[in-house]
Amino acid sequence: MRPVIRAYDALLYTMAVAAALALVWLMVSVVISVAMRNLGMQPFAWLFTSAEYGLLYMTMLGAPWLVRERGHVHIELVTAALPAAVRRFVSRAVALACVAVSLTLAWYGLQLFLTNIERNDFDVRAYFYPRWLLTITFPIAFSFMAIEFARFVFGRELLHSGEAGIHE
Amino acid sequence: MEWYEALGLLVGSIMLLMALGMPVALAFLAANILGAWVFMGGERGVVQLLNNGWGALTTFALVPIPLFLLMGEVFFQTGLGGRMFSAIDRLLGRLPGRLSYVTVLGGTGFSTLSGSSMGSTALMGSLMVPEMGRRGYKKHMSIGPILGTGGLAIIIPPSALAVLLATLAQIDVGALLIAGVIPGLILAALYVGTIYLQTRLDPEAAPPYDVPPISVGEKIQLLFRDVVPMIGLMVVIVIMMINGIVTPSEAAAFGALGVLILAALYRCLSWRAIRNSVRGALRVTLMAYLIVFGSATFSQLLAFSGASRGLITWATGFELDPVAMLLVMFGVLLILGMFMEQISIMLLTVPIFFPLATQLGFDPIWFGLIMLLALEISFTTPPFGLLLFVMKGVAPSDTTMREIYRAAIPFILCSLLLVALLIMFPVLATWLPGLG
Amino acid sequence: QQTITAVHAFPETLIYTQSFLSFVDAVNAAGEGVIQIDVRGGPEAIGMFQQPDAVRDGIVDMVYTPGSFYGGTVPEKDALVASNLTAIETRENGGIALIDQLHRERMGVMYLGWFDSGVCYNLWTRDEPTFDAEGNLEVDGLRLRGNAVYNAFFTNYLEAQVIDLPTGDVYSALQNGVVDATGWTQIGLIDLRWNEFLNYRIEPCFFSTDLGVIINLETWDGLTPEAQQILQDTAIQHEIDSVNALRTKRDEDFAALDEAGMQVVELEGEARTNYLAAARTTTWDRMRELMEENPAPSSDYDRLIELFYDPSAD
Ligand code: NA
Ligand code: NA
Repeated sequence: MRPVIRAYDALLYTMAVAAALALVWLMVSVVISVAMRNLGMQPFAWLFTSAEYGLLYMTMLGAPWLVRERGHVHIELVTAALPAAVRRFVSRAVALACVAVSLTLAWYGLQLFLTNIERNDFDVRAYFYPRWLLTITFPIAFSFMAIEFARFVFGRELLHSGEAGIHE
Repeated sequence: MEWYEALGLLVGSIMLLMALGMPVALAFLAANILGAWVFMGGERGVVQLLNNGWGALTTFALVPIPLFLLMGEVFFQTGLGGRMFSAIDRLLGRLPGRLSYVTVLGGTGFSTLSGSSMGSTALMGSLMVPEMGRRGYKKHMSIGPILGTGGLAIIIPPSALAVLLATLAQIDVGALLIAGVIPGLILAALYVGTIYLQTRLDPEAAPPYDVPPISVGEKIQLLFRDVVPMIGLMVVIVIMMINGIVTPSEAAAFGALGVLILAALYRCLSWRAIRNSVRGALRVTLMAYLIVFGSATFSQLLAFSGASRGLITWATGFELDPVAMLLVMFGVLLILGMFMEQISIMLLTVPIFFPLATQLGFDPIWFGLIMLLALEISFTTPPFGLLLFVMKGVAPSDTTMREIYRAAIPFILCSLLLVALLIMFPVLATWLPGLG
Repeated sequence: QQTITAVHAFPETLIYTQSFLSFVDAVNAAGEGVIQIDVRGGPEAIGMFQQPDAVRDGIVDMVYTPGSFYGGTVPEKDALVASNLTAIETRENGGIALIDQLHRERMGVMYLGWFDSGVCYNLWTRDEPTFDAEGNLEVDGLRLRGNAVYNAFFTNYLEAQVIDLPTGDVYSALQNGVVDATGWTQIGLIDLRWNEFLNYRIEPCFFSTDLGVIINLETWDGLTPEAQQILQDTAIQHEIDSVNALRTKRDEDFAALDEAGMQVVELEGEARTNYLAAARTTTWDRMRELMEENPAPSSDYDRLIELFYDPSAD
């Protein structure tokens, strides 16, 4: 089991690093394309398109890591008002609901990805970009998110702190 | 299904899930799965939800926000921001709440030019809230003005949202932009008055410490060493935008690059600072963009199911006198603004509201301005205003929900007061465009 | 009575949407007790670029959208883009029937009608355009706003410096001088108020709008023959009506622009011929390439060209 967990963790952090690189790429691609334009050159169209696609890759690849960091903002009203034992139960139930949502989207994300391959779908911008290259992020990201939320269902830590307010 | 049942189902489920403490993005997604199932025909509706999600995310308009966040984080993590504010502190001397005024000025300048109140909130929030906290300001003295600047930015030209509204409503773009100038100045004055009142009523809200007096020579040195380069960077970016070297959406990238270069010149750019900056920017971006992913479809479900159009038609169907009718439309905008993003609201309401406004004898420019104010107010209205979540993301982790709400309310009241003034004295909006 | 749902790609106030809504009104009047169209909204109800998939998957029954929004699925839409005919002639010569067949094969939708045809695109510039010795347009230093539809022409033929911008950003880009020229349909410049910054229209116009109504095939097959007849007849009538209505609108727009000082500059002779030919062939080449990569049973390049392009109509 250990090596599996270690490999999983490594993958999760690799995805987060890829998300961080995508963020930096946003800056780099815009700077290059503006510089080219103002030097009288034709900016490569893929600079613009890669920034747009980069937003999706960034969000999807980073989302599971953010669950681990408890960085997805939530509001604590009900959970804060409950006695500790009930709160633990509600908190785990909410995490379970998040697992269900993530799994649902992972499943239909997989369907979408397969449909895109089968139909040979393209996203048409400056280039014809195979759509499955975008939608493949769904089954991966949402499966990882499901696992991360499951840690708050079964693990030692809770999703909620018990203090009223918006939390992240 | 009747529109109110659809509305009840969609809004009810999201409110319930959020109240139970489900992360906001997941609550949107859960409500979407339910809504897509009911209104879009089962499984294929869920697939559509995912298609919408990537469609909403892969738009260039979202590029500036992470870059503004990066800019603010680098400013903060390298200590450049700290240097600048210490210097401004010492230069401005004893004015109580001085950094709050600086925030209004800087935030308005930034969001008005970048056209992104989310980006500006992200930048100013990550820059000012920790710095001002460190200097003994109470949190509402930084959070409030930052949330307020969005409302100011949307009506002071240039304003991308105003251009879009004018285009959709087919009214004069230039007139709508110019119409915002006087109300914008009034709103800025109201903000200044609010900060002044806050420091008078509660002297502890802003640091009461005395700044040691410094000589003119020291002042000049401070100014040129710690203030001019940083402000200069902003000025350079503004000039680049005005001269058409960059578009407003591209400006943020140069802001981030510029701060990195500045930090390198000041020899405070460590790997650690870079890493922490990217990490900080990424955290808030991911949080906000997964909400964008979810709320894009939620907006669409409200529209597709007929819920929002039902609400609009119902609310505007009463025979009321013009002012009451205006307040009804204003209220509808605020309610929709709690759950939908601004462009969708415009697409939905403009075709109904503008003919109605004409019929009621309203000046379309004046009405457009009030609509813009309503849209921006709804962006910061508790409990779901997206800017509140962004603020929560960038503010220090011990910041509570209550603090953010409390900080927002006085500035929302200023905007409402401005709307009241516009209703009483429409000439405030119509005088300037009428000259041309 | 049967009811089908519909969405449209553009905001409700846009002229092309108004045209579609008048078609809906005509169907609902003619189809009382038989067939009704329930319009659910525009891009706020289903995202502009998600609408083709939505109709294909049956989430909505009918969509009014440019073919270019699903050009990756039905590359033959470029026959419409490069056409110099309108729906009136191509309905008669069987062109639209072939396009319908291709939509059925490639996408599982039926192509009900090509609306608002006969509108073409011009280049609009801020400064007076200049020409070389052969009378060709000089594009050096021109900052031209582009998008996926016309970039093949702009970059490959004109070799212009193209800046991709969403429509919503063009107003401020023109204002700041980020761009100083754009392609746009003959109609609508005034509605977008870009004429505040643009002073020259370059003739001839090129390309054609490719707006059409597509219906999910299962929905279509589930309609009664009577309902199908009403939809088809009304659509064919609207193909004709919209050509005429938009011609009138174009003349009005041009007159208003003239009055406001818009200058018209014409390419002449061989330069003109080359310009038009380039717009067309770059588009046809793109279509041929995609068709060859992934042919459908009815993909027939030569036949498409023959039906949608009449050399004598230039
Ligand atoms: Na502004
Ligand atoms: Na909101």
